[in-house]
Amino acid sequence: MGYKRKRGDGEGEEMEAEDRGRPSFNGTEKRNVILPSMIKNKDKRSKVYAKQKHEKKLEKQKKIKARDAAEKRALELGEEPPQKMIPRTIENTRESDETICRPDDEELFAEIDADEFNPVLRREITPKVLITTCRFNSTRGPAFISELLSVIPNSHYQKRGTYDLKKIVEYATKKDFTSLIVVHTRRREPDALLIIGLPNGPTAHFKLSNLVLRKDIKNHGNPTSHEPELVLNNFTTRLGNRVGRFFQSLFPQEPNFRGRRVVTFHNQRDFIFFRHHRYIFETKESKQSGTKGKESVVGEKVKARLQECGPRFTLKLVTLQHGTFDTKGGEFEWVHKPEMDTSRRRFFL
Amino acid sequence: MPRIITNETYGCPPIRALTFDSLGLIKVTEARGKERGTPTVVNTWGETNASRCVLAASIDDRLSNPLLAVARKDGSVEVLNPCNGDLHFAYSVFGDDGSSPEDDEISGLHLFRKQSDYQAERSCSLLTCTKKGDVSLRSVKFPDAHADSTDDAAPKTWKACGSGELLVGKVDGSENFGLFGGKRVEVNIWDLEQCTKIWSAKSPPKDNLGIFTPTWFTCAAFLSNEDHRKFVTGTKSHQVRLYDVSAQRRPVLSFDFRETAITAISEDPDGHTIYVGNASADLASFDIRTGKLLGSFLGKCSGSIRSVVRHPQQQVIASCGLDRYLRVYDVKTRQLISAVFLKQHLTGLVFDSGFSGEDIAVANTVVEAESEENMTIMEQEDEEEQNEDRLEEAPVKKKKSKKDKRSREEVSGGEEIDEVRSKKTRDHKKKSKKVKHIQEE
Repeated sequence: MGYKRKRGDGEGEEMEAEDRGRPSFNGTEKRNVILPSMIKNKDKRSKVYAKQKHEKKLEKQKKIKARDAAEKRALELGEEPPQKMIPRTIENTRESDETICRPDDEELFAEIDADEFNPVLRREITPKVLITTCRFNSTRGPAFISELLSVIPNSHYQKRGTYDLKKIVEYATKKDFTSLIVVHTRRREPDALLIIGLPNGPTAHFKLSNLVLRKDIKNHGNPTSHEPELVLNNFTTRLGNRVGRFFQSLFPQEPNFRGRRVVTFHNQRDFIFFRHHRYIFETKESKQSGTKGKESVVGEKVKARLQECGPRFTLKLVTLQHGTFDTKGGEFEWVHKPEMDTSRRRFFL
Repeated sequence: MPRIITNETYGCPPIRALTFDSLGLIKVTEARGKERGTPTVVNTWGETNASRCVLAASIDDRLSNPLLAVARKDGSVEVLNPCNGDLHFAYSVFGDDGSSPEDDEISGLHLFRKQSDYQAERSCSLLTCTKKGDVSLRSVKFPDAHADSTDDAAPKTWKACGSGELLVGKVDGSENFGLFGGKRVEVNIWDLEQCTKIWSAKSPPKDNLGIFTPTWFTCAAFLSNEDHRKFVTGTKSHQVRLYDVSAQRRPVLSFDFRETAITAISEDPDGHTIYVGNASADLASFDIRTGKLLGSFLGKCSGSIRSVVRHPQQQVIASCGLDRYLRVYDVKTRQLISAVFLKQHLTGLVFDSGFSGEDIAVANTVVEAESEENMTIMEQEDEEEQNEDRLEEAPVKKKKSKKDKRSREEVSGGEEIDEVRSKKTRDHKKKSKKVKHIQEE
């Protein structure tokens, strides 16, 4: 607040200084300097505020009109229309990060060739996923797991029982599983996902939120058993690349395009959005062709349609651990610390 | 609320750090100039190969003829020149057949600074220990151009532990005593000349609940260069322990640091400050006389710290680890001076204290010239050898370029796959069209 006020004052002074030569502007500008928040009478304050707001709105409308007119004129004259302004967002003003992967980085490719997911992604091993839960599990947990089972091909569910997670890791390694997913439930609501790469892959701990199950999605479709296609968006940094490859290693690397199933992991501001869709290409005859008979074929238009199926949820990386699950002695490749939050525009994935 | 730390930019004093990473590369980072500058990567040695991941390294940074020893995952130990990365000598710990056992790796390496024999220029002695507990002490002579037999005396070997895993191998400042410890191995001290165990620790008693924490040492450091009797160790159960050989077999002092395993520990030349790094990326300094925390080093470090080193002359420490950064901190203010992104998981770090900043290239050439003067007879041969080295280097470079090409090809291959995919989808579209036709007909 203080900052804002100061700034306003500074501007006001500047304007005054500027406007001394031009008294005609003086009146309106000076009135604008008074901030409504500085007025103590509530009635007066709200009036002034409303007036200011209205003025702002008018100004904005005027601006938009002028812009549109300029564009139209440019079109009529056959000139280049004025450049469209690109809105500033947190994403496109992201702090520059030296860990972002570059395509000309040899060391990156060398590391990718050497990492734990490589045998799976090279199709030397078919991925096999074991899904289990935390100790106590009810209502939404099992429903979520049954949907996960339909999303991830070659996945198996085992009851957790009272086994230690380390024992389960051992068991799964022996049975040639390539990854292990633990769905953690708290107060009957899944709230965390632990993905462990086997036999020596990393362990990623995600916070899970905004879970919507299939039956709660309007007009949802039912997935087929075809191998899905995979879309990984915006995993740009070294850490992001690693996490993306981890997700990739859960799925078989031969998508069956007949199935027209897509699984999407979309990263935006370090939140990973999971979506599961079916798509269809529909051919529609466009009405604009107008001509009759045989030529109507020319006006055919292919349109893609999406239908959402399967769960919808959001993940946020909490930790990435080197090696398999080990809370006491494990080494972390990435942990979040409060001292890292120095900016809203810094992202890690 | 995000905390906003406004750092004054200190700039980095002239340092030269060598970092080792999981792909077997050695990267040289230098901060040059009389004025405080920013460290940058100036050199990268080696080829990318995951099986040659560096596990341990040790440097002898005397002014004339410095040496650097590096132990790799495939069991080979290499002795290099830290100035230009030339390979002096390499051998395999697991015999000459080169095949390393599955579960055995080198866990500790020390390059001796004091010279045992007079041919100091062309030889060095090394101590290695492996996870299974095999310690070997051997002196190697670098192969000359005329006589390439490596006639090293039979290495002294012994077992430092019966069972468990040896994870720590350290040699004290006077280089007469070695310290070993690890998973299920209590810390023990050996006399390196007689190869006898002179002291071993006793595990701390059970706590008030009767719970015994299993022994698992992960790192150790001697407190001062002269004294081999006092040392600190870090354990997997996030405990830092101070042992005094002359006092008792149980730790004199022990305290906890945060909640994850201690992974790196390092001493300050003042003899009572230690720097402790752990697996969840916390780095702090302690006063070991009291066990009090002096302060922690905040540097937005996000990955497990693998190595902490104090510069012998400058007032800086450096840490590196799984977050792929080399970080340099000021010792006094505990502020981050600079962070250098080094792309791989870093496994080790050493300082080259012979580096003075502005006249690096000159200094190196001087050193070489001196050594050449010393060897008046073998001068020519040496030159020949160097030439040969250069010749040998040339094909290596070529290989690299080939590798580049291959990686690029792979990338283009990926694109091809994409194309195939898009083709498939196109085919699919066509088919659907056809179906429509049929229906219409």
